[in-house]
Amino acid sequence: MNLLPTAEQSEIVDSLKSFLSARAPVSRLRPPAPQTGNSDHRLFRDLGDLGIWGCGLPEAVGGVGLSAAEESLIYRELGRHLLSPAIFALTLGAHLLSQLDETLRSSFIDGSARVGIANPRGRVSLAARSNGDVHLFDCAEAEWVLISDESGIALFRRDDFAEIQPVRSMDNLVTLHRARLVDARPSFWTAARDLHERALLLLSAFAVGIAEATRDMAVEYAKIREQFGRPIGSFQAIKHICADMAIRCEAAVCQTAFASLVLAEGRDGLAFHTTSSKLVAAASAVKNASQNIQVHGAIGFTAEADPHLFLKRAHVIEQLWSDSRRCRERLLSLDLPE
Amino acid sequence: MNLHFSAEDIAFRAQARDWLHEHVPRERRPHAGPAARAYDLAWQALQHGAGWAGISWPKEYGGLGLSLTRQLIWHEEYARADAPDHHLCFVALNHAGPTIMANGTEAQKQYHLSRILKGEVIWCQGFSEPNAGSDLGSLRTRARVDGDHLVVSGSKIWTSHGHLSDWQELLVRTDASAAKHKGISWVICDMQSPGLTLRPIEIMTSPNQTHFVQCFYDDVRIPLANVVGDLNDGWNVAMSTLAFERGTAQIRDQIRYAYLVEDMIAKATARLGNDCPLSRDEIGARLADLRADMAAARAMTYMVVSRADAGMRGSETSLMRAMVGETQQRARRLALDILGPYALENPEEDDWVYFYLRSFSITIAAGTAQIQRNIIGERVLGLPR
Repeated sequence: MNLLPTAEQSEIVDSLKSFLSARAPVSRLRPPAPQTGNSDHRLFRDLGDLGIWGCGLPEAVGGVGLSAAEESLIYRELGRHLLSPAIFALTLGAHLLSQLDETLRSSFIDGSARVGIANPRGRVSLAARSNGDVHLFDCAEAEWVLISDESGIALFRRDDFAEIQPVRSMDNLVTLHRARLVDARPSFWTAARDLHERALLLLSAFAVGIAEATRDMAVEYAKIREQFGRPIGSFQAIKHICADMAIRCEAAVCQTAFASLVLAEGRDGLAFHTTSSKLVAAASAVKNASQNIQVHGAIGFTAEADPHLFLKRAHVIEQLWSDSRRCRERLLSLDLPE
Repeated sequence: MNLHFSAEDIAFRAQARDWLHEHVPRERRPHAGPAARAYDLAWQALQHGAGWAGISWPKEYGGLGLSLTRQLIWHEEYARADAPDHHLCFVALNHAGPTIMANGTEAQKQYHLSRILKGEVIWCQGFSEPNAGSDLGSLRTRARVDGDHLVVSGSKIWTSHGHLSDWQELLVRTDASAAKHKGISWVICDMQSPGLTLRPIEIMTSPNQTHFVQCFYDDVRIPLANVVGDLNDGWNVAMSTLAFERGTAQIRDQIRYAYLVEDMIAKATARLGNDCPLSRDEIGARLADLRADMAAARAMTYMVVSRADAGMRGSETSLMRAMVGETQQRARRLALDILGPYALENPEEDDWVYFYLRSFSITIAAGTAQIQRNIIGERVLGLPR
């Protein structure tokens, strides 16, 4: 038993970190960059070259042959850098297609597929004929749209959705549409439960990244910002906020790591652990992002500074593919694993 | 990263599980008094007799010298078997014993260590004072050298089970002119010493339950041979073994509390009846959050052990301790809400009410939640003092 990353795993994280800090710093999202939507899809090919999207797939089907443990370490970094939520479609789509359409699969693995994701607004039934109301995230130019819920994972063409209406997104760096599935037939669909659990795990890992990034921002600011002649981080009122942020991060990191290993090693209690991760990590992300704004004071309330970006994305992640309310309901229905 | 245990470790788990299931005392542990002392010592003696005492103690001192992984396994099985905690034996096994091992003389080791392991003696701690709690370094109980003795005068307080103890690990100021954390000595005090008087302090759990005592030292003579480590080096001696357990024992609480939450779910379901499914009730939402947080607390404990195993020594353990303490308090509080009006009754045999009241000590003892946050802020995050 060991929850620490191995040397090889740390190497993967480090090379991704250096790619992201060069090519996808959070500053890419500040003006003069357009303040609606994002252009992260331009990075997806290069991330594909690093093996990011096919990381957890067997080599025999074009993947890297690693596991959910490495995937969640990767998504933690992607979360720190606030990558477009379309990324979930690439990794999960590649898994969905692992035994299907090789050409399409390789376009997911290499990052060339134009993808976005959908999230139910209310009840959606995913089946051969799917129905329900959804939100589309970063689907403006997508060809493929992935949706996940407890009944499975489905891949639709964007054209399969009816009544696509743009709406203003609270997270303005994500494009948002309302849309509807009316007896729509998914191009690919599976009821295999593990894929939804993997979706929850990747969302948790992304949330961990947000929780950690906002903790670090708050701590750095508390070290340099001076009031009353002292760095504000020397005051317990601020220090304890930062300590709480660190406690939340540790809880989210550890539970997500544990859940990733339950998935990677095929152990019992997968749904219990992924659902726990989603609850703990999403709450940590929202709370840390909120407190980061508070520690920053007035500048934290402005659009010029980054804290608001993390808060808004944290709320997107919290809503995706099982909001906290649904996670609680689900967790109560599961047995406590050993 | 992995959750694997070796075949040998799995075999060890089976062995521990079998023994525990067969030998764990079935009688309820008395909450206090001489009956609690007798119970705890008997359980320790039983473990010693069967070769299970001192799992974290090195072999040369009669322990089992288990690896951290095996300690973790032992504690997991210990909790699953619902074995009683160390309670009154805690200070001896986890603090006084290890301190003597690390810093004591041959004579001190010879005399004390086996008595602790065999379950013959109870130790208490004499650290806090009326004016030295979180700021322990400002302690004022004095000891002057007189021939081959120390002569102690002053007072210690919040000494758990002092009235049931044989020995006390006592911090005294032996050099009043030295800086705050210098000039302190760590000494072994016989609780039967002339000049030592105890004032019982009842705690909030229920009337008439003495948990703490205040100790008054009126020229108490302690042989210089009872100083552990060097005279005036007591602060370092005390700090050197504070992290002796390195977090493995925490897993017991994690498992126990996970079971408690299951009991709470069952009771809440029964209480709400068919009128309202638990998942639609506010109590259900809080129970679900607790289930998730308990899972996270357990994973955090695994992380603490992983770090210790990798030789990483830092203050990150405070993250787990803070999370665990507050999650446990939340669980105890929620249990009360599940009881509803019956929470106002406090019969002796009702653990939920008793442990709710008891849970207020969790964020005070061994470093308050606020001190933990100072440690996290300064030593983990590098914020200025």
